[in-house]
Amino acid sequence: MTTLSDPDTPGPSPPRPTLRERWRRRPPTLGFWVGAGLLGIYVVAALSALVVFRASLGTLPENSAWVPPYVQVGPSWAHPFGVIPGFGTDLFRALWQATPWDLAIVASILAIDVVLGFFLGAIAGLNEGGLVDAVVTFVGDSVGSIPAFLLAIIVLIGLAAAWPTEVGLPSFVVILGVILWPTMARTVRERARLVGHETFVEAARASGASFRRLLVRHILPNSVGPVLAQIPLDVAPIFFVLAVIPWFVNCQAPSASGSSPLPVFLPHFPAYWPLPSFSFPEWGYLLGFGTCEGFSFPGGFNYWWMYLFPLLAILGLGLGIGLVCDGIERWRRFDR
Amino acid sequence: MNGTLSGDDARIEGTGKVEGTPPPPLLRAPRGRWLSGFWRYAIRRALLIPAQLVFVLLILYLAINVPASIATGLPVGFQTYVQGFFQVVANDFTGNWGTTTLQLAGYDTYNVPWTQVYAYYIPPSVQIAVFALPIAAALAYPLSLLAGWSRRPGLDAPARFLTLTGALLPAFVVATLVMNAVFFSYLSYFQDVPSQGLIPSVGWFVLNGGYPSWILDDFITRPTGFPLVDALIHHSWTIAAISLTKTLLQASVVAIAYVAIFFRHARSVVRSTSEEPHIVGARARGISERTLLWRHAAKRVTPSFFLIFALTIPEFLGVQFAVEAAFVDQSGFGYLTFTTLTEGNLAPLDALVFLLAILVLVWAFVVDLVAIRLDPRGAVAR
Repeated sequence: MTTLSDPDTPGPSPPRPTLRERWRRRPPTLGFWVGAGLLGIYVVAALSALVVFRASLGTLPENSAWVPPYVQVGPSWAHPFGVIPGFGTDLFRALWQATPWDLAIVASILAIDVVLGFFLGAIAGLNEGGLVDAVVTFVGDSVGSIPAFLLAIIVLIGLAAAWPTEVGLPSFVVILGVILWPTMARTVRERARLVGHETFVEAARASGASFRRLLVRHILPNSVGPVLAQIPLDVAPIFFVLAVIPWFVNCQAPSASGSSPLPVFLPHFPAYWPLPSFSFPEWGYLLGFGTCEGFSFPGGFNYWWMYLFPLLAILGLGLGIGLVCDGIERWRRFDR
Repeated sequence: MNGTLSGDDARIEGTGKVEGTPPPPLLRAPRGRWLSGFWRYAIRRALLIPAQLVFVLLILYLAINVPASIATGLPVGFQTYVQGFFQVVANDFTGNWGTTTLQLAGYDTYNVPWTQVYAYYIPPSVQIAVFALPIAAALAYPLSLLAGWSRRPGLDAPARFLTLTGALLPAFVVATLVMNAVFFSYLSYFQDVPSQGLIPSVGWFVLNGGYPSWILDDFITRPTGFPLVDALIHHSWTIAAISLTKTLLQASVVAIAYVAIFFRHARSVVRSTSEEPHIVGARARGISERTLLWRHAAKRVTPSFFLIFALTIPEFLGVQFAVEAAFVDQSGFGYLTFTTLTEGNLAPLDALVFLLAILVLVWAFVVDLVAIRLDPRGAVAR
């Protein structure tokens, strides 16, 4: 008869440490705190912009007096980040005004991406070889074979052709979220597949655990790693799509004569562009237009502020998200 | 590698002999079966490619053709759409992609079959990719190994920071910065400007005796279509040098931008490899870190690196397209894509994406098979 003193019999499992105990045993890394600090700054900037700008949050003010023809106003005490050409807006104000919009865009797209990619990937991994796995893998591989920015712009063009009034930021968010999920799902599926073959999952399966219980109790909590690794990488295509078309249309696209246009200081958009107007504050658009206008002539870096500060705003947000995700992942790994 | 065990533990200590019966060779079918696991997998994957292409066309049909027919007021209905879709599939699979309705820079492209236009534009892009891929591999392989292997925060933290920054930097911004940074030195040396494809600019030809006979319609070169190869064939050494310089400039930017994307995935593969039991065991037996890294881990991660490469091909293409556009490489496929997109020209997009999807899916298929050949331990390989 087996007794509790038998060394071969596992005793009762130790109580799971509380969040506070885990925090005390392994405090988060410096990288996590730097990332959290960066994100905190962005959240404060976004909330303050909502209070300060209120009704004018979606429109950049024009002030032609600040931009005499062909004379660009660089950083100074009055304009710490310089002035945007064309409609003469202080770049610091423009970036600040854009913060709540960009945080909302990034958070919404990542939410759709993570929810679809995480759940469908985990279900496919647990159901390896089954119908759901086949469908998710097939759809994911097919959609993933087209560069994300290309597919996003094609869908926007199609939408603008049939329903021009539906083109806007909400449709852009849904389109990009739906396009980005296959990459997330593929990485999650791989992890879920491996976790599904672990002994503790086999034991739970043998003891009669349902598919739903296996998914919620074992697969999802152990498949968070790929999600945390993929989230920062999915920030990049969002701003790439928002920046690349304003840049190409305004600077690189050939004119009717076949040559590239000169900078015009007044931005223009194709009809399918999701931003409501050319004076809408958004970091990607400011970066695209700034990269176009920042080089007054080939070889010239003299208008550097026009692309540097929007670029830093985007990098700061991406790095903040990346460092926080890396910090959480390292903490989780240690905890296990 | 075929027919041998790859794990160190399979060898009898000190003799180098393999213990037990070796597994059947990779490409030989097991008893009672016509084909080995490898060939069955290869055939299944190959058969899946046409189905995936049809699915890609369905996505494009729903995104391009259906809205276009609504916008133009054509009669709509489920049956019409189904017939239209099958027509698109038939046209795309048979290369019947229609004719151009726009004038593209440099070429007389109005009312020309799209197949011919693509034949003009693809070789310069392939020329850049041929240089970019080895540069990317030469950078990514050792860097990923070193950063993933190192436990020192002094190396790992900056590596993570740099790769995240690199992945977030839009490729066209990097390309614009590089182009402007090298512009003056380039101009003074070759008396040329970094634009208009991979051959010298119009101004250079005006100053140097006009166009040679093997360059047609500004950019198209003969007989191969690859500017560097054609210049070498015709012994035009200066044009070849300029073409090589322009190609290397773009290829380097493509490689650096892509390595940042690749690195983030590859680093974690190396990290998990360094924690595998056979590596930990070898370390405990006193084998040096250098030997462990370059002789054991380097070999072990190669198949995973191939798979990461296969998965990130669309990102590679996106980076190359943006760099081509930034360098005003008007003869490249990337520039053609951006021109078509910005004009909102729907007609060539399904054929263009169809071509890209073929490239990505076939490439992923080949890389997948190579990865299995390099790592015959998986169930598929048997």
